[in-house]
Amino acid sequence: MTEPTAVTSRGVIQSTANESANSTSTSGIRAMWASWTNRVFTMREDRFFLFLAVLIGILSGLAVVCFRIAIEWTQIELLGSSISPTFPRVVLAPTLAGIAVALLVIYAFPRARGSGVNQTKSAVYVSNGYIPFNTVVGKFITCALAIGSGQSLGPEDPSLQMGAGIASLLGRRLRLSQEKVRLIAPVGAAAGLAAAFNAPISAVLFVLEEVIGTWSAGVLGAIVLAAISSVVTMRAFLGPESMFRVPPFRVAKPADLLAYVALGVVGGLASLVFLKWLAYARPRMQSLPRWTQHFQPAAAGLLIGIIGIRLPQVMGAGYPIIDQAMHGQFTWKLLLVLAALKILATGFSFLSGTPGGMFAPSLFIGAMLGGAVGAIEQHFFPALPGTVGTFALVGMGTFFAGFLRVPITSVFMVIEVSGNYTAILPVMISSLIAYGISRSYVKVPLFDLLARQDGLVLPSVEERREQLILTVEDAMRVDAASILEPGDKVTEVIKRLEGKENLLCFLRARPGEWNFIERSELQRLAADGSQTHTAAELQFKGPLPFVFRDMSLEEALHWAGDWPALPVLSRADLSKLEGLVTLEDILKAFRKVPVA
Amino acid sequence: MSSSANTVAVGKKGPRIYSREAVLLGCIIFLVLFVLFTATVSRMYHKSIHVLADNWFDEGEASFRAGDIKSALTDYRNALVYSPDNAKFQFHLAQALAAAGRGDEGRSYLLNLLSESPGSGDVNLALARIAAHKVLTSDALRYYHGAIYGEWDNDPIAMHWQVRRELAEYLLDRGLQRQAVPEIIALADSTPANDTEQLRVVGNLLLKAKLWTRALEVFRTILSANANDEDALLGAATSAFNLNQYSAALDYFDRQPEKDRNAPGVAEMYKTTQQINEMNPFLHDLSREAKAHRAATALSAATSRLQQCATQVGQSLTVTPPQTQLQKAFAESKELSGGESWQNIARHSETLDEVMGHAFEMENASAAACGEPEGTDRALWLLGRSRGVSAQ
Repeated sequence: MTEPTAVTSRGVIQSTANESANSTSTSGIRAMWASWTNRVFTMREDRFFLFLAVLIGILSGLAVVCFRIAIEWTQIELLGSSISPTFPRVVLAPTLAGIAVALLVIYAFPRARGSGVNQTKSAVYVSNGYIPFNTVVGKFITCALAIGSGQSLGPEDPSLQMGAGIASLLGRRLRLSQEKVRLIAPVGAAAGLAAAFNAPISAVLFVLEEVIGTWSAGVLGAIVLAAISSVVTMRAFLGPESMFRVPPFRVAKPADLLAYVALGVVGGLASLVFLKWLAYARPRMQSLPRWTQHFQPAAAGLLIGIIGIRLPQVMGAGYPIIDQAMHGQFTWKLLLVLAALKILATGFSFLSGTPGGMFAPSLFIGAMLGGAVGAIEQHFFPALPGTVGTFALVGMGTFFAGFLRVPITSVFMVIEVSGNYTAILPVMISSLIAYGISRSYVKVPLFDLLARQDGLVLPSVEERREQLILTVEDAMRVDAASILEPGDKVTEVIKRLEGKENLLCFLRARPGEWNFIERSELQRLAADGSQTHTAAELQFKGPLPFVFRDMSLEEALHWAGDWPALPVLSRADLSKLEGLVTLEDILKAFRKVPVA
Repeated sequence: MSSSANTVAVGKKGPRIYSREAVLLGCIIFLVLFVLFTATVSRMYHKSIHVLADNWFDEGEASFRAGDIKSALTDYRNALVYSPDNAKFQFHLAQALAAAGRGDEGRSYLLNLLSESPGSGDVNLALARIAAHKVLTSDALRYYHGAIYGEWDNDPIAMHWQVRRELAEYLLDRGLQRQAVPEIIALADSTPANDTEQLRVVGNLLLKAKLWTRALEVFRTILSANANDEDALLGAATSAFNLNQYSAALDYFDRQPEKDRNAPGVAEMYKTTQQINEMNPFLHDLSREAKAHRAATALSAATSRLQQCATQVGQSLTVTPPQTQLQKAFAESKELSGGESWQNIARHSETLDEVMGHAFEMENASAAACGEPEGTDRALWLLGRSRGVSAQ
């Protein structure tokens, strides 16, 4: 078995393993191995890709389990097991850990710095799916140290990148095709995020919404499989419970939903403030002398520690605090203070280049804002349905949608992390408002902004999502074709065409099969004395590929170059011609649309 | 398939390229090892987390028992950080929050627990107490009923009884007697006849709800087991008094220790009962003279009270024809055929009822015009009421 496997033109992976094993089938184990490899390696690559997705899911799930345990243990060791750490620890732990993190990032794991989402995106669009495994190790160690010591960051983004890194390594080692290697990083990303959030649907949606940007059927199945297998793996070790326990509530009447409009506005404005601050401060922090990078995480840790002396709730990922807010444990004033200080603390951590994610902090900020808005509204309108916890839950999704600009993910994320479906309508309303406000005043989403600040021009999923998709309808001509019946005589047809600009005449052979003859050919036949010939006796070309008016122009473009025109047929009746479209029509339609 | 055969070196310095089978085999071996490693780490983690959670919970319990609610809250919260789904921790935190006067915060934890186990007696009871504390009666009723019909781990029958008792007490305290009555009756029906303690509680609730007949029954049941039960004697005496069974009431009062009879609230009732019995001319074991004597005394006392009352309200009793109740009662009493001396009454024993009827009418008229009487007049008035003579 000395030859590598090969991908045939039909995409079937052939292996010489079976031949080799057959020839030396002396032991039972060898025979079993040969039989198994025969089955596995003669899979089509797309099936193998799905198998690999499950493997990636399990490995990512295991990695995330270890990661979460590492964070917890680090936190217990550095800050103690109480939610209110003692004074020396609360200041010293994030400061000293900040120094260690800075040294690790600068000298051992330089790529651990930065956004995992963007690094995964850049793997897809820039580096052919390559994510060095060193980054996975680096993210694991530095993030566990940073988050465990109280830096205001979350474990989801690193988990996403760890999953992507594991997938990338496997894809390369298994020598998948270039396309698959590029696509496998998002598969791992979905697995990592799903395990970190215990939320497979949100992870799949986030990766499709933010990393890949399209609902590609080729990768959707693998992403779903990876997400599910990672969540199952994670639950096997850490339990199936939802992240948060929200008291039940119900929306009694539609007018009750108005209560969440205010939350949408507040969430949108808060996300705007945070985005603007990061956009302003990050380039300035990056422009500081390089030696300052040694101390930036420590400085951030010190500032967070100082905040933590009075309000330790802002430290770390903050999930237990979100849980408390959902159970109405804080007054609205304290909730507002916590939201404001969390924005500050997260900004410090993120701007200092400390590795870690923004998901958990954004959930924290949203929950605090939501709880505050809910408490204030209930103070003035005691009859309002829903508890402070409900508002906190909806607030999480609202801020998430406004800050990360992933409105669909935010809705499903709220449902999944709470296991509560009843919040879906309020979340949709407030998320949409927050998203709208954020989009109106900050044109570039967070991840695109960070990529551009880092000198990468990654495709903007938000822009792509809103691109105008041209269809055949935008380019087709309705009255530009004549239809011939088999019994029509050439002279009659020529008379019929007089005064018209029709270039082609179509002959319907049977439904869905259309042939054509050019007008010049008809005129030539008439000149040759074939006036009495019927259409059935003429030499038509075809059959023509046909299109429908709702098909995209890009699809039509595949055939338009090979034929003078394409018939546009009715989907309900393939013998009904609705118009025609030519290459020139298509190009003209494209030129009309301004380039984004 | 040796390991050397599995690999193909591509260039001297480049990375070794392995066959797909070898990589996959390596992956699976790594996966197995990774699973084992994660399982080990996870087990250690869970163990330490459980220990931490239990330790914090124990500290919380100790603080709670010591009355240090603030520390208990922090400890319970710490415990929940490490075991967020632990229903017991959540329940205790909720109770501590309620004890700290932060019922709303505790309520959200309890609602969460209730959504997971709607039939939990403990959770329903805790929610009911919070609602009762906030005087949300409809919520309190709902949760109390949830607790009464809910599931209890230990001695469910006793818990159902206790919760119903608590509900009845809450309703009586809120003055919701109409809603309390069915609960108290249900409580009485579910109380075993041999459980003196529970019968005593039920009897007192029946007294509070003014269900005198049921109360008297309950106290008699207790007395049948222990004739000297002081609480039961008092309850029975009170019930009998309110049922106008003054002889029986006096009997129960007399069987009480003297200190109990002289207790505030009891002494006056006892004195009134004594007076009623001393004034009552209808007792069977009295001689004709004694009855006549009592009737004459009663008439004299009632006439005196009527005259005082008329003076108090500024009415003349000699107006003809009489206009007011006072004047009518007075005029009718003067029309007594046989006179008002005890000798006359003794001589004409058939006039006893008539004489007493006038006495009762005068007491009633006085009570209506000048308020409820005191002392012997009160005794006479109550006796009249027990004989079916009531104010118009």
